[in-house]
Amino acid sequence: MSTDIQIAIVGSAGDGTIAAGDILRRAMAEFGYRVISFDVYPPEIRGFGKCIARLRATDEQAYSLKPQSDVLVSLDDSHAIPHVNEAREWGAVIYEGGSVGPLAEGTHISAHIDPGQIPYNPPLRELSEKSTGSARSRNIVVLGYIAGLFRLPVEPFLRALNSKFKSKADVAKKNEAALRAGYEEGARWFRLDDVAFGPPPAKDGGATVEMISGNAAVVRGALDAGIDNFFGYPITPATSIMERLASEMPKHGTRLLQTEDEISAIAATIGAGFTGARTATATSGPGLALMAEMLGLGVIAEVPSVVFVSQRGGPSTGMPTKTEQSDLNMAVYGGHGDAPRIVIAPTNVEGCYRCGGKAFEMAEAYQTPVIVLLDLYLSNRYETVPFPAQPPFEADMNRYADTRGGKAAGFKRYALTDEHISPRSIPGQAGGMHIATGLEHNELGRPNDQSAMHTAMSRKRHEKLKAALKHPDFTAYKRFGDAGPVDVGIVAWGSTFGEALEAMILAREEGIRCAALKVVMISPFPTEVVAAFMADAGATLVPELNYQGQFAGILQAHVARPVTRLARVTGEPMEVGEILAEIRRLAGRTPAQQAA
Amino acid sequence: MGDIRPVYLEEKLKEVEDSGRLGYRSKALPTWCPGCGYFAIVDAVAAALCEQCVPYEDAVIVSGIGCSSRFPFFMNAYGMHTLHGRALPVATGVKTANPALTVVAVGGDGDGFAIGGGHVPHAARRNLNITYLLFDNGIYGLTKGQTSPTSATGFRTTTSPYDNTDRPINPLMLLLSYGATWVGQSYAGKPEHLRRMVAAALAHRGFSYLHIISPCVTFDKTHRTYVNLGTKIRELPADHDPSDKLGALREAMNDSTPAIGLYFREDRPTLDDALDTIVEKAGGTAARERVIQKQAGRKTRG
Repeated sequence: MSTDIQIAIVGSAGDGTIAAGDILRRAMAEFGYRVISFDVYPPEIRGFGKCIARLRATDEQAYSLKPQSDVLVSLDDSHAIPHVNEAREWGAVIYEGGSVGPLAEGTHISAHIDPGQIPYNPPLRELSEKSTGSARSRNIVVLGYIAGLFRLPVEPFLRALNSKFKSKADVAKKNEAALRAGYEEGARWFRLDDVAFGPPPAKDGGATVEMISGNAAVVRGALDAGIDNFFGYPITPATSIMERLASEMPKHGTRLLQTEDEISAIAATIGAGFTGARTATATSGPGLALMAEMLGLGVIAEVPSVVFVSQRGGPSTGMPTKTEQSDLNMAVYGGHGDAPRIVIAPTNVEGCYRCGGKAFEMAEAYQTPVIVLLDLYLSNRYETVPFPAQPPFEADMNRYADTRGGKAAGFKRYALTDEHISPRSIPGQAGGMHIATGLEHNELGRPNDQSAMHTAMSRKRHEKLKAALKHPDFTAYKRFGDAGPVDVGIVAWGSTFGEALEAMILAREEGIRCAALKVVMISPFPTEVVAAFMADAGATLVPELNYQGQFAGILQAHVARPVTRLARVTGEPMEVGEILAEIRRLAGRTPAQQAA
Repeated sequence: MGDIRPVYLEEKLKEVEDSGRLGYRSKALPTWCPGCGYFAIVDAVAAALCEQCVPYEDAVIVSGIGCSSRFPFFMNAYGMHTLHGRALPVATGVKTANPALTVVAVGGDGDGFAIGGGHVPHAARRNLNITYLLFDNGIYGLTKGQTSPTSATGFRTTTSPYDNTDRPINPLMLLLSYGATWVGQSYAGKPEHLRRMVAAALAHRGFSYLHIISPCVTFDKTHRTYVNLGTKIRELPADHDPSDKLGALREAMNDSTPAIGLYFREDRPTLDDALDTIVEKAGGTAARERVIQKQAGRKTRG
């Protein structure tokens, strides 16, 4: 029996919704299921905003959450009622079953449950009060209830609980009692045949599977690639990258500094890159805007640096705790002058790990800033990732010049070569002295604004990047689904690729010939691959989370073919159902045909 | 005026060649206007590096944008000629990544106190172990004469044709209060004093700030001329105690007759020390040793 179960917990800030979701996903990962999980919470630290914890546990790593959940838990009916539809037919809705005082009509969740949904109403408050003396452990009671109801072993839940509250022994003890009380109650009830956990998948040999967030995966990639220095300034949703590195890097004897602003962060990153160090910063859209000028210096002075960018919503301060993919244009084009750079966008948490490390290789190999573009949805979501036994990253991809016996000031740091990449030297290397300058320069790095020189240097800076599309052991793009001609081809990037792939799989199950192209490297753009993919497709769909269709715009600047833009700015991940509907429309399936 | 004596070109050339400091000068000749005070600074820095036997390849000169920021091109060392106002954060990256390097940040009054003013407090409070040479000519020279944050009130420039109404800032007082651990002032018209001060600033372990007053011979014919500066500038009183911060602040307040010399110095752990302490607390291997070894490994071809 295969497992594919999605559980959503909806509550108000203060109900412990997110904490319960965290314990649940840790337990699921410990069972050995593949997990993908993403929480939604309000921007305020305190308050009564809506919190949702969602997770999907499967045998094979899923690409996205499902359009509908198998189990919906309400810790707060006023917030959960609008989400009742999220539970599928024959799915479970679990809510407070204890007696409540007089309520206005329609404010109790039981009035909204569909006849096809299975209601469970354990007395959560009462069980919490009995087992711990307070109603605050309702969130833990309900976890125990879920474990009991689905006949799951309770130990992984207990271990997850104890590790979460390891610094507060008394809290852990009370919560253990709450968990057991919930478990006993759940085990008393009939088990849902329609929502059942199968045995977890067998373990892979060699790789260790861990459940981590996108930001944590970036950090792990950076550490595995041997990051030497990090300079950053806090900003949501990138801050946890810096926070994790701040605790990890000193253990490796490496250095992190919180700078006075994002301009200093990228400036110091480039300063460190000049010395040959593997160095990075992390920010979000507002910080990337401040870094634009300095990135141009990195481009013209050909200094390696890595910038991790986690996008959030809107211009200016916008929506700091909502997800969006609207900084793509800035990442690719931001800044003055012709300033080409490498932009890679991972599509899942495993990709965050690989891009997090590969970015350092690329920065060195092509002597340029590399932007790794995430978004809040990818930064904050959890997935189970198989980590290889040996980090898949090269320790040093610099091309150093042999400067022994070099004449003073005679080193051609910017030598024009056939492959457009010049061997470099770093401070401390005798005979390699040169000036890295933001002025246009000649091969020696001396200021030079002659027409021929500017043309030659501009060509060098652009052409050298093309090799990055074939960077060793890196997936710059990949095709999924049907081979050969298809009715609908989906080209997607970043976090939205997961939903696109899920929709493509569902469309193929409906008999639509369909393929999806994942584009990880957006600058330089894989023009030939995308053009060939589109030539195969009757229609091309580009789903993304921004208003303009920024990726579609970049695509069409390279491939002159029509595309259908599915551009959404809801602040939430794209809905699989919406992409699927668009695929059906493009494939010529009307809703009536669909029903038939 | 009693200390003025004739200097003969041949004698001077021989002295300079014998000193070895010409090795620290690049083949590129300075692009400054004839008579500019900055020529003296190039010579002073070359002499100071030479005096302290810093290998050419271990020195990194970092600058922003402006007349003064062309400086790295005139030195035989590694250099970064960066963005307007950003010399200090770039230098922070260089020094943090490789603490074995001798890092000198250079820049002008506009670079350091207008566009880059936000970085100075942080380099100072962290006690970043570099030397910051601030070339103050009270004007934006490279863009042909606009008002700067140290321009005198009433100064007429192309951007203040009816007089500059802003009052100039007092960089020395700022640096003293920011927590710089070495604060000094010199004058481009006194090359010997300048050379001694640059050498002392380089020798200091921690953030050393040397404010160098200079005329702009091209765009300022009224305020900072050699004649005006030469008559106004005084030496710090002989009994000034550089460990007395209040005394230093008192002297710095008197900016109508600026005093040259060492205002303040103290010993405090540097940013490198602090980062090493963090590594110790985390149980890691000594950062500095590790970083230096790694860098050494990377330059084996050199």
